[in-house]
Amino acid sequence: MGLLDYYRQFEGMSEEEVNAELRERAAERKRNALAKVQTLDLSHTTWPELPHPRVVGAITYVARRGLYRYPHLGGSELRDALAERHGVPAKRLILGNGAAELLSAATRALIEPGQRLLTPWPSYPLYPLMARRAHGRPERVSGGVDELLMSTREGDVRVIALASPNDPTGELLATAELRRLLEGLPPGVAVLLDEALVDFADAQPIDSSLALLEEFPTLLVFRSFSKAWGLAGLRIGYAIGGPGSEELLAELDPDLGVSEVSQAGALEAIRSTSELIQARTRAVCERRVELTDALRNRDFEVADSQANFLWLSYPEISGAELAARLGIRGIVVAAGDALGEPGHVRITLPVVGAVGRVVDALREAVEED
Amino acid sequence: MRTDPTDNGGLFVGRRPGTAPVRFRTLPKRGSELRQRMDGSLATVLLVTMTVLCLLCWGPIPLACLWLGSEIQYITGSVTLGITAAFALLFALLFGVLVLLRRLDSMWVLVRRAAGHDQRTGALGRIFAITAAVCALAFAAWFLVIHGPGNLNNRGS
Repeated sequence: MGLLDYYRQFEGMSEEEVNAELRERAAERKRNALAKVQTLDLSHTTWPELPHPRVVGAITYVARRGLYRYPHLGGSELRDALAERHGVPAKRLILGNGAAELLSAATRALIEPGQRLLTPWPSYPLYPLMARRAHGRPERVSGGVDELLMSTREGDVRVIALASPNDPTGELLATAELRRLLEGLPPGVAVLLDEALVDFADAQPIDSSLALLEEFPTLLVFRSFSKAWGLAGLRIGYAIGGPGSEELLAELDPDLGVSEVSQAGALEAIRSTSELIQARTRAVCERRVELTDALRNRDFEVADSQANFLWLSYPEISGAELAARLGIRGIVVAAGDALGEPGHVRITLPVVGAVGRVVDALREAVEED
Repeated sequence: MRTDPTDNGGLFVGRRPGTAPVRFRTLPKRGSELRQRMDGSLATVLLVTMTVLCLLCWGPIPLACLWLGSEIQYITGSVTLGITAAFALLFALLFGVLVLLRRLDSMWVLVRRAAGHDQRTGALGRIFAITAAVCALAFAAWFLVIHGPGNLNNRGS
C-alpha cells in the first residue's frame, strides 16, 4: 500500500454514497416484497371478506347489553324478518345454529333406525354422516332425478337430502325437476333441500323452490347465512316448511335457542347489507361465466355451476395431483377425493383480478406433463 | 399548527444528525503505534502550516500585492495598471491559498484519523476565524497604540 493510499483508506463515504447504498437496499426490499406472491386459498365455499361494519356494530351492541341471559326462545325479530322476506308465515320458519345442525336434526327426527337416506353423489359429505348418526343407512345415488326416483322404489327410503346448488358440483336443481321429484316420490319420503348456496344462483329466482312448499308438505328447505352472507362464524341458518310442518319444525328447534349475538348479526345483515350481497352475487355470476369459458377453452371439463365455485377435471390428471400442482403455484383448492369424485377439484371463484392468475396456474399445472 | 417544540416529526429519534459513526468503504488498517505517533506529529505540522497560511492571508499577502502594484506603477507610470495588477494578484493568491488550505484541511482530517482520533470535521473554519480575530486585534493595537491614527494638529492643513 502506497503512502497516499494508506491515508485514503481513512476517507469516509460521502453522504451521497451512503444514501445511494441505503436507496439500493430500500429498492431491494421493495423488489422482494413485490415479488412475494401471496397464497390464494380457493378451497373454502364461504365468503372470505370481513363482515360489514354495521353487522359488527349490531353484534357489539348486543354483546355489551349483556350476555348473561339465555336467548329468547319465542319469536324473534330475525324470524319475523325472514318470514316477511320469503313470504311465508313465521310459524313455518325456525332458526338454528347453522343449516347443517337443522339438517342433522331433521334427519334424526325423520329417520327410524335402518331406514335409508338417499343423496345424489358427489354431494355435501355431511349427508351420509347425518344418516349414520341417526342410525339410518346412507345411500349415494349417481345421476339425477330419475335415478333418485328409481332408488325410492324399495320401501325403506325415508329421506332424500339434496343440495341446490350442489356442493361440490355447483349444479342447480331446477324447480321443474324438483317438482317432478316431489310428484314421483312415494308417500312418506321427505325431501331436505339444502339451499345454503342458492344466493349465488342466477338461473332461476332464488325463492322459486319455496313456492313448492304449499303443494308438497314433505319438502323442507334449509338456508344459511354462512355462504353469500359471509357470516359462517355466527353459526346461523333457518329451515322453512310447508303447511302442516309446524310440528316437525318444532322438533328441529334448538333446545336453548340461537345465540342472540348471532341473531343480531344476521338481522342487521338482512336490513343493511342486502344490496351489498346482491352486488356480490352478481359479481360472482360474472366471474363464474368468465372462468368457466376460459377453462373450457383450455380443455378442462367444467360442470355447469350456479354456486361460487367450479367443479372441474382435466383428462388423465387426478384431482389430488392437480390440487398438488396448483398448491406449488400458491393456489389452494379442494381435491375431489375428499368430496366423492377423485378425478375432480373444486375451485372457489377468486376475487376480481385473480381470475387470470388462476387460469395461468391451471394452464401451467396441466402443461407440466 | 404545531405548538410543541419537542414535536420534531420523528427526525431526531435515536440519534441526532451528524453523530453517526464514520462509514468507510472498507475498514481501514491502522499502522503501528509508532506510525500513529508520527501521524499525530504530522497532523500538528499540518495544523501549524494551515495557521501560518491563514495568517498570511490577513497581512503579508495583501501587503506583498500592494508592494508589487506600486512597483508596476513605478516602472510603467500607470496608476491604473498598478492597482489592477495588485488586485489581480491579490485575488489569485488569496483564492490559491484558500484552495490549498482546503486540501490541507482534508489531509489533516485523514492524518488525524490515521493517528487514531475520531476526527469527523476539519479545523479550517475555526483557524480562519481565530487568525482573523488575532490579526484584527494586532492591527488595532498597531494602529491605535504604536503608530497612532495620525497627528491631530495637522488636521485640515
